[in-house]
Amino acid sequence: MAAIVARALVKHFSQEIKAVDGIDLDIPEGQVFGFLGQNGSGKTTTVRMLTTLLKPTSGSAEVGGVDVLAHPERIRRSVGVAMQEVGLDEVQTGRELLTLQARLFDVPGPVARTRAGNLLDVVGLAGDADRPLKGYSGGMKRRLDLACALIHEPRIVFLDEPTTGLDPITREAMWRYVEDLNKGGVTFFLTTQYLEEADRLCDDIAIMDRGQIVAKGSPEALKSSIGTDAITLGLGSAEDAGLAEPLLRRFEGVDSLQVQGAQVILYLKNGAAAVAPLVLALAEANVKVEDLRLRQATLDDVFLRATGHHLETGDQGQGRL
Amino acid sequence: MRFLRDTILLMNRALREAIRQPANEIGNAFIPLFFYAVTVGAVGDVAREAFGVSDYKGFQLPVAILQGAAGVAGGAGLAMTLDIQSGYFEKLLLTSTPRLAIVGGRMLADGVKSVILCTLIVAMALAFGSGFETGPVGMVALVLSGGVFALCYSGIGVAIALKTGSPQAAQAGFLLFFPLLFLAPTFAPLDVFATWLEVIARANPVTYILEGMRALVTGGWQWGSLLKGSAAILGMGVVTWTMTAMALRGRAAGG
Ligand SMILES: Nc1ncnc2c1ncn2[C@@H]1O[C@H](COP(=O)(O)OP(=O)(O)OP(=O)(O)O)[C@@H](O)[C@H]1O
Ligand SMILES: [Mg+2]
Repeated sequence: MAAIVARALVKHFSQEIKAVDGIDLDIPEGQVFGFLGQNGSGKTTTVRMLTTLLKPTSGSAEVGGVDVLAHPERIRRSVGVAMQEVGLDEVQTGRELLTLQARLFDVPGPVARTRAGNLLDVVGLAGDADRPLKGYSGGMKRRLDLACALIHEPRIVFLDEPTTGLDPITREAMWRYVEDLNKGGVTFFLTTQYLEEADRLCDDIAIMDRGQIVAKGSPEALKSSIGTDAITLGLGSAEDAGLAEPLLRRFEGVDSLQVQGAQVILYLKNGAAAVAPLVLALAEANVKVEDLRLRQATLDDVFLRATGHHLETGDQGQGRL
Repeated sequence: MRFLRDTILLMNRALREAIRQPANEIGNAFIPLFFYAVTVGAVGDVAREAFGVSDYKGFQLPVAILQGAAGVAGGAGLAMTLDIQSGYFEKLLLTSTPRLAIVGGRMLADGVKSVILCTLIVAMALAFGSGFETGPVGMVALVLSGGVFALCYSGIGVAIALKTGSPQAAQAGFLLFFPLLFLAPTFAPLDVFATWLEVIARANPVTYILEGMRALVTGGWQWGSLLKGSAAILGMGVVTWTMTAMALRGRAAGG
């Protein structure tokens, strides 16, 4: 059965702000699905619609086989959600907050307390469980927020940028929780601005750009769709790049190509074999090559081709090549 | 059943918060106690000659009760705006709890805090030498009606909080009460009022609440006044709870 289905899902906040502009989703049960996109591309808006916090302008969606508009209360019972901004009550202790959260999902008191204790252990907060949240660090709050999303043992979990702003160790730990739960059959819908995260965790990803899905598939399929290797050429100027483009486009073995200023990226199946003929051909055409690098195609290349720009992330500037 | 249980769970959370951040509650308690002492001290001795009130300490007790209850009742709305801003409100919306319990818990906490404060106020008035015509049963009735009044009055702040999400707006809602409190027989009985003020006061539900409470303290079991007072409180409750329920539906609907 499909865990999450969306058909022509739309959210327009106004004439100009078309936050989500007609997306289709088919996410099978047991999958880790990655929703990639830069700031403002519509990730959070999609999550809010799928979790019943926001009514779609049009279109439909089902989560766990339940229509989001017809039975929102049934969806709330069966999904766990950790929003992008942790929403916690700083006056309570971790244990109080988590136990209350469980009780509000109708988990009986003794079970709620046991489960809260176990989960605090899992997210590494056992030692701080009885301190008010005021004294928690950002990473600790994130982990508690994740625990809140899991306390009622949901089968479908939405995580909106769960690792943004976390240090590498905490991020790694977060990835492991997701992987472990996923092994137990939990479906994840995960938004992220980190390509590495999508590559590592996700069975399938969708790339969002300005409210639309511009590419969809498994990370491997997406990478091989643009060629398995990438050659980055640094040319003298944007003008040179423009001049060289037609020649490069016709070049034997090139699947596709991307021009970025003075830089041209070629995607091809066998990069190593192409380097020598490529240099010769450019020399013949009098195009000066200042830099040449051969590497494997990454999700960033997929992103670049799908959207025309690199994935810019809030806290690390330009996405890496 | 579930509604009641979750309301109480959320009320407990709100009360824990009050205990851990007592500054607000201390302020809420100080104001009515202070005004009571000052008003009684200033006017108490001349009240009999000026407007024929012999037990002015008892006469002022319901004013302190209303003032205290209304002050406490600003808490739910303000706290609700903070929950909205922190995102915790949204987390509560995402649980399977009945949504009315989310606001009900906060409002009920105001009711409980108000009962505690009103008990303090009654104790202080008695210590000052106020009489109490209806005795212990009347005292319990007065304290409970202070709690119910807070439960009703807090709906105003909560409705504004849900509508606007703004702490400033929610606090402004509380200030709404002050003109109402003074357009009533607060310092003197109605029959010494100028006609225009009396007309306004007679249209003000606070007048009937005040007179009902006053009957308990200085009048005795005057069922007419008590009924009118109860009806005024409940009438106010129906209005504020409806406002709250509508505002909640608006916020939870997710435009
Ligand atoms: N409540 C709202 N009212 C008006 N516009 C909104 C609202 N929420 C989101 N938007 C707009 O919708 C667009 C998509 O926002 P959204 O939060 O879904 O993006 P996002 O992909 O989650 O971005 P980020 O990576 O920064 O979290 C943005 O242009 C945003 O300004
Ligand atoms: Mg977002």
